[in-house]
Amino acid sequence: MLMPPSFRLGTLVTLVLAGLIATAGCAQTSVLRKADFAPQAPGPARVLLMPLDVELSELTAGGMLEPRADWTDQAKTHVRVALAAALQGKHTALISYSPPARDSEQAKVDQQLLMLHDLVAGTILLNSFVALPTKKGRFDWSLGEGVKQLQERANADYALFILFRDSYASGGRVALMVAGALVGAIVPGGRQFGSASLVDLRGGDIVWFNHLSSEAGDLRTPEAVRTAIESLLTELPL
Amino acid sequence: MSLARTGVLVALLLSTTACAAQRGSPGALPDIQPGRRPDLETEEAGLWMQTDRLEADLKTSGALVADSALNAYVRNIVCRLAEAYCADIRIYILRVPYFNASMMPNGVMQVWTGLILRVDNEAQLAYVLGHELGHYLRRHSIQRWRDVRAKSAFLEFSGLLTAPTGFGPLASLGAQLALVGSIFAFSRDNEREADELGFGLAVKAGYDPREASKVWEALVEERDATKDSAPFIFFATHPAPEERIENLKAFAKKSALDGGHAIIGREQFLAQTRPLRTMLLRDELRRREFTGSQVVLDRLFEAGTGLGELYFFQGELYRLRDNEGDREKTTAAYQKALEYGDAPVETHRALGLLFFKTGEKEKARLAFERYLQQRVNAEDREMIEAYLRQLE
Repeated sequence: MLMPPSFRLGTLVTLVLAGLIATAGCAQTSVLRKADFAPQAPGPARVLLMPLDVELSELTAGGMLEPRADWTDQAKTHVRVALAAALQGKHTALISYSPPARDSEQAKVDQQLLMLHDLVAGTILLNSFVALPTKKGRFDWSLGEGVKQLQERANADYALFILFRDSYASGGRVALMVAGALVGAIVPGGRQFGSASLVDLRGGDIVWFNHLSSEAGDLRTPEAVRTAIESLLTELPL
Repeated sequence: MSLARTGVLVALLLSTTACAAQRGSPGALPDIQPGRRPDLETEEAGLWMQTDRLEADLKTSGALVADSALNAYVRNIVCRLAEAYCADIRIYILRVPYFNASMMPNGVMQVWTGLILRVDNEAQLAYVLGHELGHYLRRHSIQRWRDVRAKSAFLEFSGLLTAPTGFGPLASLGAQLALVGSIFAFSRDNEREADELGFGLAVKAGYDPREASKVWEALVEERDATKDSAPFIFFATHPAPEERIENLKAFAKKSALDGGHAIIGREQFLAQTRPLRTMLLRDELRRREFTGSQVVLDRLFEAGTGLGELYFFQGELYRLRDNEGDREKTTAAYQKALEYGDAPVETHRALGLLFFKTGEKEKARLAFERYLQQRVNAEDREMIEAYLRQLE
């Protein structure tokens, strides 16, 4: 039986960053939203920020992505700060996620939810490149009603999932890029990718999805993170 | 390409080796220290970060074996081997019917049920687990990462060097093949080292050194039986098992001199794993690699525990394989199983279905009735009753 390929977002992004899936070179965002979406009740929207999926790497001379824990930690801190600032201007209240006890049943449920989102968001991204006939011109993705437990637990209306991947050329890679230029070969450097999805916790619908891809910007600095978050969230429908 | 340009490239190539050295160059590392996480700015911390994420996924895997007694048993063996490192190792027993155990750099140890089905006693299991601990203690993941990183950098540069000559593609293919070969070779060196280290740990914990090589002998037997049907990827990244067997036997000879280590732990092993064997055998047959599974079954027959169950699965193997003459063999194996007290109740149902197909109505009826008598709450009672009505 032939199965359509399914990708978790993280995996797909790795392919994009490895240059195996072509995206435009300059910084760009690409908003997708549910057509009939209307924000919930008039008060400020309570947005639960899900655990951040961030990974910064060093691009080695040989083209391998070497994950960097220190840069990742820094970037996560910057993302939290930048999100709080960006959402302050909007009609929202940001709620932080309190992790359940380690190895508890609840922890497993939450982890499964994160994995499910990862898979659905990967499919959304894949369909934004090549849409299935049934998904052409439609945006009707959902995580299902399993998200309702979050609505009650966190007293939130929406969940916001944020992902960033970024890589920076190592000294060796820069040397290789220079060498490549000498012989007329293009050796790609690092590349940044970010995505955000907003999930309506009443029923699990993904009401809004945005992603950006860029060759500029260094997420190790708070300024670049602020810029990235602002461009990701400009059209947040809240 | 002009000499000047080549010169610049070579200089740059050498400079990356220097860069790489700052973040850790390939080669030996001091052993990991108990209870320590790597410093955040190291590449090791990066690998831990990634494997921590994999572990979070792994915790929710449907393939995890929940049986708490088995988990505690394996954990106990690991702790006897790992001593001070015990608290740093997290064990995940996964329901995968292939021979394997593996170690992540952050202390995640995966043990596949196919391994449990293929070892005969606690000592054999301990030698495999000791080998995995060897990888962890020597930090082989990070050594390997550094090695691949250095080699892939070399490859990119040599690709640039040969690119303008017109022989680029060919030269670069050659370089790539050599690279892949040397990555595997590096890994085989790691395996040898882990064998030696693991052997030392298990001997220290008191396990009979003669058991170490037996695991590999069994694996060789299975490999040779299945040579034509199933490629053993396992062997690509590991030293030829014949070599391991020789090494381990040599270690055993030496250590037998300082004598008297004697834990084989067959009874304990059986007590802990026997309750799960039905599930493991069922999974084993799902591989549909009947030649290999026959070797595994033969070994269990030889060990002689739970013959009723074994004959039932022998019958299952014939039934699923369905070669010329397998139907008769299936019937004979099921009937043989019923001569022993421990034949699974399903044997009656399986026999009933066989007779139902061949039109031996009376025998089918009897078998189905026995099944329903012995399993009062059978989930498929209604279906079996429907068969019985058809037989009237």
